Amino acid sequence: MTGSCLSVAFDAIPRVTHMLTKEMIQLIYVNKLKKDFKKTIKEPGLKGSLKSFVKPKTEIITAVNEIDFHVPKGEILGFIGPNGAGKSTVIKMLTGILTPTSGSCEINGKVPYKNRKSYVREIGVVFGQRTQLWWDLALRETYTVLKEIYEVDDKSFKERMAFLNEVLELDEFITSPVRTLSLGQRMRADIAASLLHSPKVLFLDEPTIGLDVVVKDNIRKAVKTINENEQTTVILTTHDLQDVENLCDRIVMIDKGSKIFDGEIAELKRKFGQSREMKFVPADFSALDKLDYEGEFHLKDAVEVENDGHNVSVRFDSDRISVEKMLNYTLSKLHVKDINVSDADIEEIIKGIYRSEVKVDA
Amino acid sequence: MRRIFKIYKPFTHAGVMLAAQYRVNFIFFILGDVLMCFINYFLWKAVFSSGGAQTFMGFSETDMVSYIFISFLTSTLAYSDGSYAVGEEIKDGSIAMRMIKPIRFDLAFLFQELGERTMSISIVFLPLMVGVEIFRFVVTGAVQFNIFRFLLYLLSLVLAYLINFYVNVCYGYSAFVLKNLWGSNLLKNIIIGFLSGATIPLAFLPPVLSAVLNFLPFASLTYTPVMIYIGMYGPVQILTSFGLQIVWLIFFIFLQQVIWNACVKRLSVQGG
Repeated sequence: MTGSCLSVAFDAIPRVTHMLTKEMIQLIYVNKLKKDFKKTIKEPGLKGSLKSFVKPKTEIITAVNEIDFHVPKGEILGFIGPNGAGKSTVIKMLTGILTPTSGSCEINGKVPYKNRKSYVREIGVVFGQRTQLWWDLALRETYTVLKEIYEVDDKSFKERMAFLNEVLELDEFITSPVRTLSLGQRMRADIAASLLHSPKVLFLDEPTIGLDVVVKDNIRKAVKTINENEQTTVILTTHDLQDVENLCDRIVMIDKGSKIFDGEIAELKRKFGQSREMKFVPADFSALDKLDYEGEFHLKDAVEVENDGHNVSVRFDSDRISVEKMLNYTLSKLHVKDINVSDADIEEIIKGIYRSEVKVDA
Repeated sequence: MRRIFKIYKPFTHAGVMLAAQYRVNFIFFILGDVLMCFINYFLWKAVFSSGGAQTFMGFSETDMVSYIFISFLTSTLAYSDGSYAVGEEIKDGSIAMRMIKPIRFDLAFLFQELGERTMSISIVFLPLMVGVEIFRFVVTGAVQFNIFRFLLYLLSLVLAYLINFYVNVCYGYSAFVLKNLWGSNLLKNIIIGFLSGATIPLAFLPPVLSAVLNFLPFASLTYTPVMIYIGMYGPVQILTSFGLQIVWLIFFIFLQQVIWNACVKRLSVQGG
């Protein structure tokens, strides 16, 4: 793998263009952002519990380790990484909820955790797993509350509601209490709530979690529309890579608290898209033992075999092992009922990176 | 000031609707308290009838009965759930949803609680006060109700509530450290109940202790308004106790801000 200093290479491309147009000035600067958490370690058993009650042992866990990135105005940035990678922690620092241990971030000329009250006026935030709506009140009431909080005047409020209504179709449930809304309705309502005051930056933390395909699609369209109409900068974290492919101009990928990729999706595919997947149904599963890819190709960690009892899938890097050799070897060793080789899609690539079979020099 | 009311008024509205949802719960809660109050009443009745003396440590039987019911009324009205509300939000992490809004937490919680309290005020206040006044009229044969003293009582009650609220908010922030407040909250309520004179008048305690408690914020929570209501305080004492209440209120508003700033720096939001 020839992944030489990817992040530098990709950063350099947008930076040049930014110099040309004034609108493209970076809106978000993140510099060596770091967050440590203190964690109490509990020893097992009753004795351990008592011991940690009297004298708790703590250890420092680094959730986010010196992350850097910039986002220009009007961009939709996908922020991805496996569970526990530190995505949410970064979002919480960028929205002023958490104070970083060290490093800094500046958004729209403001430091989130220093001037929280004036800063949050200019951003909208949606946490997919929580709601900012008033649980026991009719949805309409939440918007009235928000109107007062953000001091939106009557005229703009009316126009804004009409616009959000059109994009997110709130009309059908705007008079119902929030607790009676379905998850999809609630998410649309939440997104509308975060956009009521026309924020400059929109943070979406897993906005499509648990939603069906149709609702997901609606939400993506709405985000796209708002981004195009108002030049709203969007930071999106998600596990749904369809979100990323449909929406994002660029992605930042983090794992174990560190940035491992920063660039456009096309670049990601070009760089890591050599991975292929061969799927086959063997005539006899016991014959699988005869396959020894590592021994045959003298390569370590280049091939990954997965057997779910019906299909066998083999992922490999076509730069190192040609598709022809792979097929020849496999077919020479056993009989198959069916076989096909496919391009890895972005999901596969990312799976690979998460499993760290693709090495990235960040 | 008007802007503050405009922004935070919806919180009060939400509080009313919330209280209406849990009204059965609330009625049972109040019933338990009323029973406790009557147990206290019979206990003191027995003390007075067995002792033979007209007064006990400066309190006549009528004073004592008024004290029991008015202190119950005061501690019910000045009661604040702030520590629970704040603690729960910290515990389940929903405090984060407040942090992304350009609002002050203390005011948001305060206005919401005021909404929730309207119900308890309307249910408890009138019947209890009328009851006490009828009792005092029957025993002494004269109308004891004094509108001027009553207004002073109301002012002192509002101050008591606000102090109580901020004490509770300060305490609620300890959820950042303790993670769960249920047990320590129970202990805190009992200690404050005793030290504030809600259980027995502070005058019954040893003079030194009583003097110290009078100066500490505890007396401001229940004892001061009750003593004003039943006419045990003279003008000078009323003025000094008002002064003390205001000082403590400012102190706790300030303390709350300091604790919050310190907590936020070390905040870890629970539950992702």
